[in-house]
Amino acid sequence: MRLLRLREVKAFFQGHAASHQLGWNWIPRLSLSPKGLKILAASLSCCRWLSDRQRHELGPSHPAGPGPLSGLGRYLQHCPHRSPLLSVVLYPQVTPQAPRGLHCSTAAHNPDSPLVPRPPEPQRGLVKALAPHEELFRQAPDGVRDKASFVQAVQNFTQYNVHKRGHVDFIYLALRKMREYGVERDLAIYNLLLDIFPKEVFRPRNIFHSIFLHYPRQQECGIAVLEQMENHGVMPNKETEFLLTQIFGRKSYPMLKFVRMKLWFTRFKNINPFPVPRDLPQDPVDLARLALRHMEPDLSARVTVYQMPLSKDSTDATDPTEPHIVGIQSPDQQAALAHHDPARPIFVEGPFSLWLRDKCVYYHILRADLLPPEEREVEEIPEEWNLYYPMQLDLAYGRSSWDDYEFNIDEVEEGPVFAICMAGAHDQATLAKWIQGLQETNPTLARIPVVFRLSASSGELLASSSGLEETPLTPPEGREEEENNQQRQQQSQS
Amino acid sequence: MSGCGLFLRSAAAARLGRALVAFTASRRPLRTSPPSQAFAKELFLGKIEKKEVFPFPEVSQDELNEINQFVGPVEKFFTEEVDSQKIDREGKIPNETLEKLKSLGLFGMQVPEEYGGLGLSNTMYARLGEIISLDCSIAVTLAAHQAIGLKGIILAGSEEQKARYLPKLASGEHVAAFCLTEPASGSDAASIRTRATLSEDKKHYVLNGSKVWITNGGLASVFTVFAKTEVVDSNGSVKDKVTAFIVERDFGGITSGKPEDKLGIRGSNTCEVHFENTRVPVENVLGEVGGGFKVAMNILNSGRFSMGSAVAGMLKKLIEMTAEYACTRKQFNRNLSEFGLIQEKFALMAQKAYVMESMAYLTAGMLDQPGFPDCSIEAAMVKVFSSEAAWQCVSEALQVLGGSGYMRDYPYERILRDSRILLIFEGTNEILRMYIALTGLQHAGRILTARVKQLKQGNVTTIMETVSQRVRDSLGRTVDLGLTGKLGAVHPSMETIVEEQLVLKRVANILINLYGMTAVLSRASRSIRVGLQNHDHEVLLANIFCTEAYYQNLFALSQLDKSDLRREERGTPRNSEHWHPTPTVLTRLSPPAVGMTKWLLQQILRKISMN
Repeated sequence: MRLLRLREVKAFFQGHAASHQLGWNWIPRLSLSPKGLKILAASLSCCRWLSDRQRHELGPSHPAGPGPLSGLGRYLQHCPHRSPLLSVVLYPQVTPQAPRGLHCSTAAHNPDSPLVPRPPEPQRGLVKALAPHEELFRQAPDGVRDKASFVQAVQNFTQYNVHKRGHVDFIYLALRKMREYGVERDLAIYNLLLDIFPKEVFRPRNIFHSIFLHYPRQQECGIAVLEQMENHGVMPNKETEFLLTQIFGRKSYPMLKFVRMKLWFTRFKNINPFPVPRDLPQDPVDLARLALRHMEPDLSARVTVYQMPLSKDSTDATDPTEPHIVGIQSPDQQAALAHHDPARPIFVEGPFSLWLRDKCVYYHILRADLLPPEEREVEEIPEEWNLYYPMQLDLAYGRSSWDDYEFNIDEVEEGPVFAICMAGAHDQATLAKWIQGLQETNPTLARIPVVFRLSASSGELLASSSGLEETPLTPPEGREEEENNQQRQQQSQS
Repeated sequence: MSGCGLFLRSAAAARLGRALVAFTASRRPLRTSPPSQAFAKELFLGKIEKKEVFPFPEVSQDELNEINQFVGPVEKFFTEEVDSQKIDREGKIPNETLEKLKSLGLFGMQVPEEYGGLGLSNTMYARLGEIISLDCSIAVTLAAHQAIGLKGIILAGSEEQKARYLPKLASGEHVAAFCLTEPASGSDAASIRTRATLSEDKKHYVLNGSKVWITNGGLASVFTVFAKTEVVDSNGSVKDKVTAFIVERDFGGITSGKPEDKLGIRGSNTCEVHFENTRVPVENVLGEVGGGFKVAMNILNSGRFSMGSAVAGMLKKLIEMTAEYACTRKQFNRNLSEFGLIQEKFALMAQKAYVMESMAYLTAGMLDQPGFPDCSIEAAMVKVFSSEAAWQCVSEALQVLGGSGYMRDYPYERILRDSRILLIFEGTNEILRMYIALTGLQHAGRILTARVKQLKQGNVTTIMETVSQRVRDSLGRTVDLGLTGKLGAVHPSMETIVEEQLVLKRVANILINLYGMTAVLSRASRSIRVGLQNHDHEVLLANIFCTEAYYQNLFALSQLDKSDLRREERGTPRNSEHWHPTPTVLTRLSPPAVGMTKWLLQQILRKISMN
């Protein structure tokens, strides 16, 4: 660790200066900033540790009344923007959902870092302090959790809390609640959340402010908002930019994040040549239809619904005897199946998984083994075929033993796939119904032995009965969500 | 544009060149060695067969006089009596026009004299074609009659068949049609559905099936029909093979559909022809039973060369009309012809017309040589070049004419419509490009594989030759044999070149350009030598074309190069710096042309060997 040299400070500052035009100019120039931020974070953590100790010493020892310092602490806790140093007191309980993306944050948050002493107890007590904000979200009338009630909650916060105390916590909380209210893809809501920040307060006033993370907790919070937008593929707009410049100024990390989003979102928006619609159909039959179309390259293939699931009104909603069966087959596959040698068996294999956004569906294929090379028919070019030009160059090669006939070809040949299906149940009885249905259009199938090679369903990620219909309401934690998010980003939507 | 028509008039003016002509004419029949390979095929091996193309073929004075006798009245008839506009409007050639054509003998131009035809040589046929093409509908009708319709009888017919059919066909009493295309079969002979089955008494074939887009289908009374027949192989198996038949309308069971409504050549009659249990006597099999494929190929290959001269004739007429307009129309107190952009268009038209004419007459001259030289590649090149140039030139001419080019009251738009078919019929240009490239590569490949075989067997002379060639090449032009890789073996996957259509197209384009360059160089150098009037003009045209074609070739070569997989294997045309498109090179063939072909081959084969 060393102090920043003036040259580096200059470079950093220039990077900032150029940022509003070319956001990516920052990337190389910021290379030194994590070190500086690490120093900062370490020193700030020390401060917080010290103040915590003070409070511990004072607080419990005077049960009759809170000591003056702890009172000050509570005050500061609710208006963290007043002092940059003390605001970091609340740092570690910012959120369990640590914002990623900015390189400094990992260093600052890493609890294993030797520079950061582990805070002893106060975590739990402070988390409880968030409860008032939780209440704002509970106020919503029962059952109705929509955009209006979310907006209402946010407005309640701003009205009730004119000084915007604890707004960072509230924003984190609101971010977590967005999914429940189904507003996680709503740009206006994100702008609304950003609007909670007090304006002009966190803007860096001088060069040193912008070098050292100015109001880090607020900036992290702003980044968290943008990060969640990114994860849900929401493109920030002019209003977002305006808000960010008002709140954090141009030379700030949220702004950097914004510029990067502006740059890359447009590039990645249509990167997937096979886009999956944003809102997947809820009906499993429609979902299967979509998934099958998604997998089948031949556009002339026909989707057939072999069996509809029983309607939901019936007593047994998940009647195992009547799951849906949807299959797809192209004319080419039909022709290939018609030419299949009945002496060779064909196989039903599966279930294989297919992810459509955050839903996993399972499919089965009907396939045959590859013909052994000696039985393959070589397509012959008829002698008198083309009236105009030779279809084959007939050169009298004098091949001898010297010549190398084997070429290094990396090709794995696979047997033909004749049809794909998706069914509500993965047992043999259901799939046998599919084969029966296929026999109507493929008469030869009646003469071909069909072997079921079904793997145990242990490989399934979700239980087939519930997994197809339910979406997890609570945001999945940790890795799983990360994967989902990545997937979502790849299948970038509008 | 008067310069373009110089060739035929030239002989009369060229007293100086006479001796030379007489010398070559007398020398040629005496040649005892086997006729050398056709020019284009050798081009693929990187060789220029100078004997074939230098000097530019000429006709004797007698022939010239003879042809002028024909040309006069025919030209008079076409300019004065044929009303192309009316033919186009009504979609029919009037009977009196047809009668007059018959009386002029135009229905039997290439039928030998003993069968009542004119027995014209290919060169003279090409010359007449120039005039006939003043009306495209008539030209197509005549071409369908004699270039493909009755050509089968001349090429493959027996004496009896010739004696029976040719006189009436030559006089125009009977009109012929060529029935090959079917709804499901264009160039794919395997999908021909028309079927001929031998009757039980083995005296007749019973013909069933239908053919589409048959030119003269409604007028014709003699058809050359291709149908599948069952043929017993040498090893006893029965196979379906194509057989050609001469079918008369009187055999019964022949119906023709209503004439098709077409974009251009509206005066020609095109319709479907249906055969229903038509009984064809066994004697009317053309060629051998089961040999129809070769007959069809020969007919198609032989019919093409004349298109070059025909298009040139049409273009010259168009240039004349356009020039008249450009010289009279005034804008800003200046004639259109004074504007640079207009002049550019005329330069283009003159150049293209000159080139296609040179190519056509060069090919015709090669075909007129004794023996039966195989000039099918050259003919295909002429067809491709002239049809594409025609479309381009007509379009440019319309541009000069402005609004009046678009009006139906003027003849220009008709010419545009008519010329579109040139790219399509007699084998589309795409298919012909494949033909040019593949036939040439096949020839080159065979010779080079034979050479490799000899090398492997340790033939001392071949090895010495190869080594000395290599040494010479490395000292001189640094172009190696090309076809062989580093280890001296041709890659066995050469067959895949057939699938590389984009490569083949460029190969064909390069070869077409090379042939065009050869033709104009040959012709222009002869004009200089015999001191033709306006030969400086010819030199200029040749010069423009050669420069342009050279750059086109370079471009095509670089494109071939780009698709190359291995970067380090890429080369540049090494001889380019020696190329100066100045009149001095007109007297001999430029070495770059030779080097380029070799280099090209080398590149292609490298590419192939990499796949």
